[in-house]
Amino acid sequence: MVKKKRLRLIAEMARKIRAYRELKSRPRDSQKFALDYETMRRPLTGKMLPVLAWQDVRRESRLFSLLAGMRMFGVGRLFTRKSWLEDHTEPSYWQITKVKVDYTSENMDHGKAWGILTYKGKQEGEVKEVDKVMYHDWRLVPKHMEQQLKDFEPLPEPPVRYTPYPPLLRAMMLAQHKKSLGSVLAEEPALPLKRDIVLNKDYFRKQEQEEQRTEGTAV
Amino acid sequence: MAASVLKRCVTAAVKVKCLSPSVSVRRWLLSAAYTDTKVWEAREKDPQNLAVLATIMDRTYDRNLPVSSLTVSRFVDNISSREEVDQAEYYLYKFRHSPNCWYLRNWTIHSWIRQCLKYGAREKALHTLKNKVQYGIFPDDFTFNLLIESYIKDGDFKSACSVVEEVMLQEAFDLPSTQILSLYALGSYLATRPQLTMSEERALGASLLICGLKQDNTVGLSAQLVGNALLGKVEMLKGIHAVFKGMPLFWGHGYLGRAMAVMERAASADVKLSKDTLDYVNNLLQELSSTSDTDSSGEESAGEEDKKEDVVDEDDQAEQAKLPQYVARFTELSSQLESQGKVDSASFQALVTALAQENLAAAEKPDVEQYESQVQAWEAERRQLNQREKEMREKAEQERQERLAAKAAAQQA
Repeated sequence: MVKKKRLRLIAEMARKIRAYRELKSRPRDSQKFALDYETMRRPLTGKMLPVLAWQDVRRESRLFSLLAGMRMFGVGRLFTRKSWLEDHTEPSYWQITKVKVDYTSENMDHGKAWGILTYKGKQEGEVKEVDKVMYHDWRLVPKHMEQQLKDFEPLPEPPVRYTPYPPLLRAMMLAQHKKSLGSVLAEEPALPLKRDIVLNKDYFRKQEQEEQRTEGTAV
Repeated sequence: MAASVLKRCVTAAVKVKCLSPSVSVRRWLLSAAYTDTKVWEAREKDPQNLAVLATIMDRTYDRNLPVSSLTVSRFVDNISSREEVDQAEYYLYKFRHSPNCWYLRNWTIHSWIRQCLKYGAREKALHTLKNKVQYGIFPDDFTFNLLIESYIKDGDFKSACSVVEEVMLQEAFDLPSTQILSLYALGSYLATRPQLTMSEERALGASLLICGLKQDNTVGLSAQLVGNALLGKVEMLKGIHAVFKGMPLFWGHGYLGRAMAVMERAASADVKLSKDTLDYVNNLLQELSSTSDTDSSGEESAGEEDKKEDVVDEDDQAEQAKLPQYVARFTELSSQLESQGKVDSASFQALVTALAQENLAAAEKPDVEQYESQVQAWEAERRQLNQREKEMREKAEQERQERLAAKAAAQQA
């Protein structure tokens, strides 16, 4: 048998204390995302920003640089990103609902924000955290332009097209249907050309459960 | 100082009603009822010792605990001299850089501006307003009106325009009284024909544009025209990014084009444009074309500088190429407006004063009523905060007593 492992309680406690101290001394947003504009380096890690971003970093501003100078930190206002303006013709914007600013930053330049995204004219339902807050990419939508952005009606999505199944698969499907139900399938099985399935862990777990149910406890 | 101001207001109030032709003498726009401190002074006083509050706040900050907004509001309310204004500024700065910065109350900001005006620290108020990022001073519309009015009263139109610039940055031109006051300040400032740097021109143009968008009459359209023209000038000289960075402005090119669109709108609608604004835009365009001519002639000598800059976008260059078109369009449209009789020979300043005399009294009344109800709401909130603080203190005291009793009992046993 293996020799019984010694109970090293003090080492355990030291491990916990070290983990706690590491948690406490995490760099704040203002330290993590501070930038030296001359050398384009982050002082915390010493890494340089990618070259394609340099022009944007010099010309545009971060989201919180805009929010810091607004009443109630811009809650309820719309903000776009320059990359969205360039890439898509349909308007995309965030409407800010909640702001948590990092008060240790010098010009209240960093923090986290939450809001409702409208991407390419389609508004999403729930409040999400605004990502890429620290990117130098953000533009405030002035109040006289807000209505113009909101008025945009996205084109309705074209209806999903269907194609017939490949012949062997179709034959297999019809045979299985005949075997399980006894009747001939009335309509042609059609393959939808667009699947709205998000491939994540839940989906695969559900698939496994269904397979187990159909197989039964044979194994 | 407040008493003498009040006396002047009261004696002038009589003069305000009768429309005197000597408009240039009278400088007070808002009536005495608006700038009256009666409602504000009628709040219940909460006398506190400033030194005690200061030590409490210092100790709380040292222990890394959050300071409540109630403490800061008490400090600002109990200011009684000019030095204490400076101390309050320091504590406002510290509060802004604490976790509770979002909770700075509206009545604290209003009280701060009132106290600054009372103790003659107007420059301090303007300084904190300009550095609103560091101090967290975001006044509401009524407070902005008071501040602009105090500057207009003393004829300091430059500072009044800087306050209007702050209003523009907050896009707070909702009340008609604010619009009239800001247009008056901007018009008076422009009438003095000042020498403007590029950033001042940008700020002035933006304020004129955003304020003018709210009014649909001669004054509004003329303001929009001058605003668009000034912003177009900055766009021509520095590029579009220099125009909208840090300002609530649209990022599309062609501000001069939008200025021409305003003129077209005036030509088609039933609105006139003021003559001196048209002259101003004319001068501006002539200046721009002459500078662009000298630029293009001296280009070979400045070749190496171009390589270093290298940032002038193709879009900006396309804009600069359109300048002669804009000049031609402007002359065409202005002659069209003159032939249609849509050019108002009164100056912008006179138009704004006339507008103020007509509309300001009507605009003030709902403001004053809303202010009174708002003061009541603030008082209720303050009382509720006081109550909550007292309850929490009692609870903490109770818990402390229990803990002490438990410890004593444990020690005895």
